[in-house]
Amino acid sequence: MGLLLQIIPVITVALLFVIKKNRIMHIISLSTSSLLLIIAAYLTGQVILYGTVEYSSLGRFFYIDALSIIILDIVLLIAFMVSIYSVGYMEEEIRLGKLAKRRLRIYYILMHSFLFTMILALTVRNMGLMWIAIEATTLASAFLVGFYSDKNALEAAWKYVIICSVGIAIALLGITLLNFSSLNILEGRLLLDWTALYEHAEFLQNSSLRLAFIFILVGFGTKAGLAPMHTWLPDAHSQAPSPISALLSGVLLNSAMYGIIRTVAIVNRNEGSSVYTGRLLIALGILSIATAAIFILTQKDYKRLLAYSSIEHMGIIAVAIGIFSPLSVFGALLHMINHSLTKSMLFLSTGNILQKYKTKEIAKIKGVLKSLPVSGTVFLLGLFAIAGTPPFSIFASELSIMISIFQEKFFGLGVIFILLIAIVFAGIALNLFKMFYGEAQDKNLQPGDGNMPGTVCLVVLLLVIAITGIFIPEGVKELIIRAQNIIIG
Amino acid sequence: MFDFLLETLSVLILLSAFALMANKRISSYIRTFRIQSISIALAAGIMGIQSSQAEGRFDFLIVCLLIVALKVVYIPHLLHKTYANVKYKVEKDFILNIPIMIIICCGLVLFSYFALASIEGLGQGLLNLQFVNSVSVIWIGLFFMISRKKAIGQIIGFLVIENGLYIAAMLSTNGMPLVVDLGIFLDMLTAVMIMGLMVFRINDKFDSIDIDKLNHLKG
Repeated sequence: MGLLLQIIPVITVALLFVIKKNRIMHIISLSTSSLLLIIAAYLTGQVILYGTVEYSSLGRFFYIDALSIIILDIVLLIAFMVSIYSVGYMEEEIRLGKLAKRRLRIYYILMHSFLFTMILALTVRNMGLMWIAIEATTLASAFLVGFYSDKNALEAAWKYVIICSVGIAIALLGITLLNFSSLNILEGRLLLDWTALYEHAEFLQNSSLRLAFIFILVGFGTKAGLAPMHTWLPDAHSQAPSPISALLSGVLLNSAMYGIIRTVAIVNRNEGSSVYTGRLLIALGILSIATAAIFILTQKDYKRLLAYSSIEHMGIIAVAIGIFSPLSVFGALLHMINHSLTKSMLFLSTGNILQKYKTKEIAKIKGVLKSLPVSGTVFLLGLFAIAGTPPFSIFASELSIMISIFQEKFFGLGVIFILLIAIVFAGIALNLFKMFYGEAQDKNLQPGDGNMPGTVCLVVLLLVIAITGIFIPEGVKELIIRAQNIIIG
Repeated sequence: MFDFLLETLSVLILLSAFALMANKRISSYIRTFRIQSISIALAAGIMGIQSSQAEGRFDFLIVCLLIVALKVVYIPHLLHKTYANVKYKVEKDFILNIPIMIIICCGLVLFSYFALASIEGLGQGLLNLQFVNSVSVIWIGLFFMISRKKAIGQIIGFLVIENGLYIAAMLSTNGMPLVVDLGIFLDMLTAVMIMGLMVFRINDKFDSIDIDKLNHLKG
């Protein structure tokens, strides 16, 4: 059953190559993502029952535990929303003449290959294969970032491919060193096997493991958008089509962070404490939050602003993993879920705004609430949510991270953390809230949302983040606690 | 005997990275890259013979053939084709002058020596220097990417990084599991094809492959 997760997207891509009609392509894309969601639900049940899902076929490469299923569920849930949204969005783009009709096939092929690589990264046991899959996510999404093929999109795509490929190459050096550290203990099929590395973590060679961690942190950190390796991120997120921005921000960053978390678990077990990894993670995390705060304050483009906000949230997750207490790891995992849902909702609603106003500049947009009654409201509330206002779920996870910082007696860090988050809040409020009121400059603008199914998705996501802000379902909590136990050991 | 050959090859690979740094023309970048890949293929071949005699493993020989097919034949050919189709051909392409860049590269070798000196178990025998050589190739490749302004120069830099990584993995850990090796080849090939395609598009839109012109997105 689990292997279907990897097979179905491949079949979909193959089908999309031969199909001629755009309508049927939409249907295939929708049914693929709903099928994947159903399989994910089944696997989640299995993980809750048995702890892990693994098969003995094909060299036992397939492996899912509580940590991977959480991120896998986010991936497939957001992929489902994005494929519903894409139908209306892409049809509108074709109608507006921004894309040729035949480009839809390429869009779907790339989107589903992108999805396949992310699923692969989350379902393999071998760190080397995980590396390959994460590198492949860059390759599959490169042309999606440059999808509009104008000068800016090409520039963003070039930066994206070059910076991420080099970053990921550095992670490979880390993986090599990780392999080196285990040479005396593991052999044959067990080389680079995550479960074996984790079980024998105490016996790994410490000095090469430490070096390995630095390289892996820098490498996967590039992909996760941690400062100072974040420079590709705002360009890529702002130039990609909006549904793809939602996937990049909500899903891709998490997959890269997942690679870091897996390594942290091994290194901390080997060291017997979290001081070494903690210092590095907290430093990069705070640097990311600070960088994002500065750029958010002076931002003029709303998609770029949201991209910087993603850097901020990845920074928060890195800090929380760096603290490494049970509460902070719980908060980090919860924050991953909340950030993904909220941010993809925001990026999807910018799609509606962009199609209505045809500009990404904040200053040129007025009266969003009037011209886009539903998605405008979702966008406004989503901004409150992403800035960390109760009752939305991001507030809950940020609060637990903050509490854990103070519990572990990092007082200076806690103060800086709160201060930076307050600056981000102010930046978002100052820059974006003026979009919502006033009269639109263009008098011919027709009020109304368009893309009905997509707008319904937005509302659903909003409801989810509002409800989970108040209470977390028992199953989710159970899974997060199990994942937390896997990480902390 | 085998150790001596591998040692010599790893020094040759490092030297070819220095030679690349001193190259001025895109066609000579491609030639130097080809020479470097031939040395890596030789190293893989030697290790393949060694391991097939000792343990009956053939994965290094497969890898050796793949390196010859991809890095010696196909990718240089692809790059030549890309370059021939990109009409804009001003040759001076670097930010610092060559002697300074060579000195910086020497510094990079020293840096990797000291960074890796802390690892226990690498110091045994010749392995240490081989690993230092290959990690230095990675840093030189990275520096090459920064120092060149043409998009093709960056692709070559990326390939040199990949070469350095590959030789590091091969010499220090007797290679990754074979699936991982194959996956890395697949990724690298796709990456080069995508980058090559993008060079075409950039040339179309910007009338040049000078990446200094890619400077619209800021802030």
